[in-house]
Amino acid sequence: MRVLGRRLSLYVVTAWVAITVNFLLPRMMPGNPLQQMIGKATGAVTPQQVLATKLAFGLDLNQGLWAQYVGYWHQLFQGNLGVSLTLAASVSSVLGQAVPWTVGLIGVSTILSFLLGTFSGALLGWFRGSRLDSVIPVATFFQAVPYFFLGIVTVLVFGSTLHWFPVQGAYSQSVIPGWDWGFVASLLRYGQLPVITIVLSSVAGWMLGMRNMMVTMIAEDFVLMAVATGLPRRKVIMHAARNAVLPSVANLSLAIGLVVSGALLVELVFNYPGVGDLLLQAVLNEDYPLIQGIFLVITLTVLAANLLADVFYFILDPRTRVEAAV
Amino acid sequence: MSAVRLPRSPKVLVGAGLVAFFAIMTVVGPLLAPYNPSATNFDANLRPSATHLLGTTALGQDIFSQLMVGARATMIVAIVAGVVATFFSIAVGVAAGYLGGRADDGLSLTANVFLAIPGLPLLIVIDSYLPAGGRSNSFVIGLIISLTGWAWGARVLRAQTMSLRNRDFVEAARIIGESRFRIMIFEIAPNLLPVLASSLLFTILYSIGAYVTLAYVGLTSTAVWNWGTMLYWAQANNAELANQWWWFVPPGVCIALFGTGLALMNFGIDEFINPRLRAAGISGRVRRASGLPRRPRLGFTPVARPGSVRASKAGAR
Amino acid sequence: MTEMTMSEPGSAQNDLVLEIENFSVDYGWGDAAVRAVNNVSLSVRRSRVLGVAGESGSGKSTLVYAVTRLLRAPGIIAEGSARLTFDDPDGGTGARRTVDLMAASASELRAIRWSQVSIVLQSALNALNPVLRIGRMFDQVLKAHRADMTKVQRRQRAAELLELVGLGEDRLARFPHELSGGQRQRIMIALALALDPQLVIMDEPTTALDVVTQHEIINELAKLRARFGFSMIFITHDLSLLVELADDIAVMYAGNVVEWAPAGDLYATPRHPYTLGLLNSSPPLTGERRELVGIAGSPPDPSQPVGGCSFHERCDFVLERCHREVPALRVLDESGRKVACWLHEDGVSVPTPLRRRAGDDVPATMAAEVAP
Repeated sequence: MRVLGRRLSLYVVTAWVAITVNFLLPRMMPGNPLQQMIGKATGAVTPQQVLATKLAFGLDLNQGLWAQYVGYWHQLFQGNLGVSLTLAASVSSVLGQAVPWTVGLIGVSTILSFLLGTFSGALLGWFRGSRLDSVIPVATFFQAVPYFFLGIVTVLVFGSTLHWFPVQGAYSQSVIPGWDWGFVASLLRYGQLPVITIVLSSVAGWMLGMRNMMVTMIAEDFVLMAVATGLPRRKVIMHAARNAVLPSVANLSLAIGLVVSGALLVELVFNYPGVGDLLLQAVLNEDYPLIQGIFLVITLTVLAANLLADVFYFILDPRTRVEAAV
Repeated sequence: MSAVRLPRSPKVLVGAGLVAFFAIMTVVGPLLAPYNPSATNFDANLRPSATHLLGTTALGQDIFSQLMVGARATMIVAIVAGVVATFFSIAVGVAAGYLGGRADDGLSLTANVFLAIPGLPLLIVIDSYLPAGGRSNSFVIGLIISLTGWAWGARVLRAQTMSLRNRDFVEAARIIGESRFRIMIFEIAPNLLPVLASSLLFTILYSIGAYVTLAYVGLTSTAVWNWGTMLYWAQANNAELANQWWWFVPPGVCIALFGTGLALMNFGIDEFINPRLRAAGISGRVRRASGLPRRPRLGFTPVARPGSVRASKAGAR
Repeated sequence: MTEMTMSEPGSAQNDLVLEIENFSVDYGWGDAAVRAVNNVSLSVRRSRVLGVAGESGSGKSTLVYAVTRLLRAPGIIAEGSARLTFDDPDGGTGARRTVDLMAASASELRAIRWSQVSIVLQSALNALNPVLRIGRMFDQVLKAHRADMTKVQRRQRAAELLELVGLGEDRLARFPHELSGGQRQRIMIALALALDPQLVIMDEPTTALDVVTQHEIINELAKLRARFGFSMIFITHDLSLLVELADDIAVMYAGNVVEWAPAGDLYATPRHPYTLGLLNSSPPLTGERRELVGIAGSPPDPSQPVGGCSFHERCDFVLERCHREVPALRVLDESGRKVACWLHEDGVSVPTPLRRRAGDDVPATMAAEVAP
């Protein structure tokens, strides 16, 4: 339990750092983007919104830095992330619409990729030396391909050329969003290519990591024991795999960060209405409140996912429950 | 320090070959480019031909020249960012692992925080605040890439240093009275080389991905040609929808091949670090020739078949 | 292909459990092959304990792992046979079946493993899966071989087995890292007896333990054997452990069996110079203190095979012949004991230490502890 407590406090600290970085960045950059922001804001939105944004970001530059900082936190706890300069809506509402798409896409892709990768990695490790090994260079190649490039290629191959999958959007234009089967089916159909792209790019990492761990595990005595006791092969592989998967789970935290990065780009390529496109537009339009809001939400979500992954590891490895982390 | 003996598996050789190929391209690329990559005086959207090996863009620029010239910026930024990040990794990781205690706590916390914050969004955010001048400076871009990429290496190096710290030879040096600094440099560092090399390769891989991504979304100056910028222009002109594969496939494939080369080399280093990963004993070729089963099976020790046994020198006794 | 030999109760074949003949094991293949076990022939009878003693690198572990086909790559069985004989309930009362371990298929091996021959590894911490509770291991093993048992029955059986080795049922819920070394080793032994096997192989089971625990475990083993009557192969580098336990002892050196004799005879009247050296280098727990003498030199590198007897460079009584010719394992007298040494050939005068008779005045070594 102590171990989890330490991880939790780490995440709290990280969240604090992220929020503070968010606060400090615009103030540290040369060219004072803050003044620019205010200059832009007055033109596009109402004065009340400007005031709200000013308060949200402690933009009252007459106050000292610390007072601004406190004001910033004050606004955050009220859920006020400011107002988007370009979309004329509150950042929270804009995010509220986009985040579920991203979370859905990344969640499904990560889980699929992890399961597929560790499963195939276990088999690759066990049957080492067989013809299966030729998969490894292929997997290595896909791992090196940037996510978005793979996205572009799949759009070309599967969409434009072969017309197997739809390539733009999250659901068909002709369907009305709602919780009925028609919508869900459309969701699934449109989601295939983005998910496939992300899975293809990330599965190699899991596969190779798991394979290497399996090979290391198989050299351990307890696997020989499992064979010596006459257990069926399936059970023996499980003995090794249960141990080999532990580092992969530990790496899940890191991987989530990478997948998020890549997924944002994939959303761009496929015009998926998630956070990725939003972020990019915000950056290009210098919509700082939106940028800050997105960064914050992404970071907090990743931290939450990391925590979940840590709990998962805690459950899987009984040794962590007894000894304090060294 | 054990003699450095690189395993000669085909994977490693292919990987090293790929990396060397691109290293050469970095150096001689601009010399081989037939035209100025920015020159727009050619016909637009031409397919590959003898005069334009990779065709032309929608603006009438020669793609092959762009590829050759772009290699330099891409590779240099990636490698420099990788090296700088690794430098941070060493400084933080080895110090944390060796010093222990409060120093370790503080340094580890820093690394973990950087690790937990997702890299690309942070990159994008930092980059977005850069003034235009900053964005066209490859050095600055490289610097912020390395800021987001050092944490993983630091963690790995810290773990390795911690396991080395308690070994006998380090104890011996301590007893003799070597200063901590000297111990870190002369005793521990040489044994970290394999892990270090692996970390460097991995970081370069990350850096090239990060740089290309930034260029692709348009966050770097388009004045500097690199493979990511090529993809940016291709995307902007909907090359993939128009089926102009000769525009966007070459840069992407180059990135992928370079990355694959790095990853394959990493394989070799993995096998060096962890002897269990090396091919056990008898190679596949010998197995097939001798009638032994194709791969070792746990719990089924092979029995040499009579008649197929070549007299081993030991058995001749 | 399994040899189905139905043997008559009472026949000589009926008494054999494991028969190893001309067994050789290499590491590697062809020119790179290194011989680890050379032309070994041993047998184990019902309810008898065979001790296999030797230094590390003598091939004693390699031998038993290879015989049970559990040897890891790059081990290869170069020649020889090993046959396991056990009771066959399907063949009628008293019927026994013999399996050629070298020719058996994977599924046949899986069926015999643990139910007829089980093994206790050296380090229990490494031999038990660290992420599984102890009870799971028992459950899996019982389930794999006794499909008719229910979950409750399996648990009962596991509790019984733990009780046999003096542990409480609560240990089943623990993880390996929560137990002491001695407890883990007892669990390994309990697990080894789970299916009432005919032969239990112990690979240096007490090496990782302190001396007191070592002897506790040995005593436990002796009691269990007396109660259940299984055969045992006990591998060790410490001859003193075999005093209470072994019926016969084979001494191995550099992959060869250099001496084989009933335990008492071996202690009292060693015939091979290496055995003599081993006995002289173990301190007795009781009796007078005496000077310990080691054996000068070190075992030969198996990848550089020496000509002649493998012990000739360290032997105190070496003859000229020893450098050139390899001595064969020969029966020495009517007791059936064997030795591979040129000193015991016709016409050679045997040095005094190697021709003691039983009852002779010996320096206080094992003689004091050997029961008549």
